[in-house]
Amino acid sequence: MSYAYLFKYIIIGDTGVGKSCLLLQFTDKRFQPVHDLTIGVEFGARMITIDNKYIKLQIWDTAGQEAFRSITRSYYRGAAGALLVYDITRRETFNHLTTWLDDARQHSNSNMVIMLIGNKSDLESRREVKKEEGEAFAREHGLIFMETSAKTAANVEEAFINTAKEIYEKIQEGVFDINNEANGIKIGPQHSPSNSNLPPGSKSPSQSSGCC
Amino acid sequence: MEYFKSGLKTVLGSQDPEQQPSGAETVERLVERVQSSTLLDDRRDACRALKALSRKYRIEVGAQGMDALRFILETDKQDCEIIGYTLDTLSNIMSPTLFDEEEESDRQEDLRHIGEQFTEMFLKKPENVTLILSFLEEYDFKVRWPALKLLRVLLSNRLKDIQDIILVSPMGVSKLMDLLGDSREVIRNEALLLLIQLTKSNANIQKIVAFENAFDRLFDVIIEEGCADGGIVVEDCFLLMLNLLKNNSSNQNFFKEGSYIQKLCPMFTLPPDGADDNCWAPQKTAILFSVLLVVRCLVSPSNPGQVTLSCQKALFTSGIFQALTSILMASGVPINFLAEAICTLSEVIRGNHHNQQHFARVMAPISPPREAIVILLMSMVNEKQSFALRCTVLYCFQCYLFKNEDGQAQVVQTLLSPSYSEVNMVTSGQLLCSGLYSHDSLSNWLSAVALSHTLIENPAQRENLLRVLLSPDPNYRPVTLIHQVALLLQQSNKAQSKIGFLIFLGTWLSHCHLAVKHFLEVPTAIPYLTAQVGSAEGEDDNEELVQGLCAFVIGLCILFNDGTASSYDKDALIQLVSNRIGLEVFSSKLSEVSRNEFYSRASKLPQPRATKPEELLLDYEFCKLFKVLESMIVKAVNPKEPSNSAVEIAENGLVSEYKDVIREQDRKIAELQCKCDSLEKEKNQLKLTLEQLSSNVSQLSDENTLLKAQLHAGGLTHDHEHDLAMQVDGWRTECARKDATIQSLEAEVQRLNISSNQTTIESNPPTDPIESSDMDNLLELFAVQEEKLNKYKDLLRRYGEKVDDDDTDQEISPQPTSHNSPTRNNIV
Repeated sequence: MSYAYLFKYIIIGDTGVGKSCLLLQFTDKRFQPVHDLTIGVEFGARMITIDNKYIKLQIWDTAGQEAFRSITRSYYRGAAGALLVYDITRRETFNHLTTWLDDARQHSNSNMVIMLIGNKSDLESRREVKKEEGEAFAREHGLIFMETSAKTAANVEEAFINTAKEIYEKIQEGVFDINNEANGIKIGPQHSPSNSNLPPGSKSPSQSSGCC
Repeated sequence: MEYFKSGLKTVLGSQDPEQQPSGAETVERLVERVQSSTLLDDRRDACRALKALSRKYRIEVGAQGMDALRFILETDKQDCEIIGYTLDTLSNIMSPTLFDEEEESDRQEDLRHIGEQFTEMFLKKPENVTLILSFLEEYDFKVRWPALKLLRVLLSNRLKDIQDIILVSPMGVSKLMDLLGDSREVIRNEALLLLIQLTKSNANIQKIVAFENAFDRLFDVIIEEGCADGGIVVEDCFLLMLNLLKNNSSNQNFFKEGSYIQKLCPMFTLPPDGADDNCWAPQKTAILFSVLLVVRCLVSPSNPGQVTLSCQKALFTSGIFQALTSILMASGVPINFLAEAICTLSEVIRGNHHNQQHFARVMAPISPPREAIVILLMSMVNEKQSFALRCTVLYCFQCYLFKNEDGQAQVVQTLLSPSYSEVNMVTSGQLLCSGLYSHDSLSNWLSAVALSHTLIENPAQRENLLRVLLSPDPNYRPVTLIHQVALLLQQSNKAQSKIGFLIFLGTWLSHCHLAVKHFLEVPTAIPYLTAQVGSAEGEDDNEELVQGLCAFVIGLCILFNDGTASSYDKDALIQLVSNRIGLEVFSSKLSEVSRNEFYSRASKLPQPRATKPEELLLDYEFCKLFKVLESMIVKAVNPKEPSNSAVEIAENGLVSEYKDVIREQDRKIAELQCKCDSLEKEKNQLKLTLEQLSSNVSQLSDENTLLKAQLHAGGLTHDHEHDLAMQVDGWRTECARKDATIQSLEAEVQRLNISSNQTTIESNPPTDPIESSDMDNLLELFAVQEEKLNKYKDLLRRYGEKVDDDDTDQEISPQPTSHNSPTRNNIV
């Protein structure tokens, strides 16, 4: 299936906040209560539709452990979107958000869309971070915010799709340079605006002569 | 050389020809110049000279110059030329290979590892590598090229260390990836080689390289170079792709999701038959071979099942499955390539029912058309075919039947249905059975193993196959297949054949009472097997294997015996084993199998692998079966010693005891859970209070600091006051002092006043009355005098004498003017 756009995402946040489970729920629609520690990064992908257009999401789920931090930093630059995840039942994961955010802002391109996610919303009884606190943090730092549960799948779709919408809007506004792949955005094979009226396969040489 | 010498002369000044300095001295002088020259030109010349010497005198240059060169890299960054020389020199001294200049050297032994040792020295500072990486950003060929070469040298000496350093250096991998887009081919190609080295067995680097759009870049290069008709660069691209994908399921997933599988398809477009003799030119074959390896690693049986399944699907829809089958049927394909293509196709269909079904329908382009499977099996049982090809055909057949009940049924069906007797229409089943009769032991083995795969995990076919009747000799009554195999086993005198038949029998008898019954009815079967197991040690390893497998088959007869066989029920067989063979011997023979070298080799991978035909002895699936059943057989054969009730009762007692223990533990666990929960609650509460307290504390400490601050400020004013007070005191004493002076002065003044008063009092009282009375007297006198004067003036005027009025006045002033005096004198 061909896509109009391809977006690269990364998922970041402390270890054990449920990054891999969020990805698994999004790509495979299932929940794995016991998940191995992610080593380095793992890849996942899914197609979504926005505005009647197919959009392919390529997602790199990173290891949260400090030991992998220098490795996972290599992924910031080429990503168009980032899901920054904390665990609502563990305050320290919320407290570390600033560090993560600084790291992300420092190594990514400035237009990267960051979605703040408070995961494990199903564990209301063990909640340590109020929803309002998450909202306030997001407002303060200009992020989109959502509480999700990888277990019940609540808001998981929305989290990934809303991030994509935000990127899509930025593209429409012309904020992203879509021809620079380092931004984490690729135009689909049949959708590149310059040769949309040409059949796929007939490439550049005929293009310049044909337009005038 | 002459040029170099003259260059040296300009650097070192001309030397007296009789006093040629030794290499070490020259190097020393040059290094000193590199370190101490203040002029860039001098340093550059010295570096150039060092570079020239670094091949012949690499120990000297390395030992003396390493630090100086490293320093140049840091300080002379802006001069491309000197950096180029320095990087080249470092490459030379750390090079893992010997130079021509060194070949004749008598120090060859020292030189062998010198590159590695210098590398180790260089890597003591990991930032050196980061420095080299930074030179890759310089576009100038003079820098980028030697930097790239140096990195390759470092990588070949210390792969792991460099990988670790690059992994954590910011943007390290992206810098390398950017080089793939360099318009200068030589740099791009070198970068490709570098990346192949760098990505070797390091999953993290592989993933980052893939994330940095490596697959896009590679396909760009491949298309630019002309795909399958391109040169070795295209092959390198696929080798890098292979590195990125091998055992890396994340990247495999990415490759599949990124629709890169479709991009592989054009590589397989073959020219029409006989169109071109060059169609299988070595370079093109090599490229296609590497593409096959890429495809294979996407569907390798060792991958996670999920990935393999989805890649198999994508390989079918992208048309690569189709392309592979046409390679299979094409003529003139080099045999090694064909074998690899068959293996690739095998793994593309392995365990994927959809692809297996399509494979079954592939027809060979001959007349009349035949199924490709049959054609393949023909070459498998053909002694004249190459060993490699026959092996891969077996693998293909195994993959076709893997988890494919329909396929298994179809093959068995060809042996049952009447159509097999039709002339010219030999079936796969027939081919395999004929292979059993062959005089070629490899054919026996391959056919037997192939047949065993029609039965794996398929109870129905185990029973169906029992109905197969064979009539090898038209003069004799047909016999059942199982009977025939038992006979063939006894008649054969080659270990390979025997092992093949035993594998087939073992697979057939496992989990199938009916097959065991049929087998036990073969009159000579059990006596033969017991004789084999009981015989003395075989002279070679393979004989041991035969004996072990015979024991295994006996064990299966015991294990899956429902007692319906005429002569041998379970106990009878156990009795037989213990009497004829001895339980210990039986067990040890059985255990020989899993200790055999071929067993461990076969258990590794589903693909049968052997370099020589006689090494093909065991099969992956059979080893799996053996592993599961071996322990069960040992248990079944060994009678439970003082078997009966006593032990059982004891066991029961033990069991109930354990049950109690478990119950107790359960209770404890529940209790502890409760405790844990309450503790958790308590902990949370404590946490809350702690938080409150800590916020209190912080509040208090804030206040404290505030107060401190205030106190501090207060302290300052206090000091000021103190100063002021001091001053005031000072003033005060001063004042007092001055008061005292004033008083004393006042006193003095008073005293003086008094004395002066006294004096005035003494003088004044008499003067005053005197003066006033005198004055009065004098005034009276004056008036009298004036009257007299005026009288005289009138008199004088009357007498006509001119008289000034003034004169009178002047006479009154105390200082009479001199010119009046004559008049006065005159008057007087």
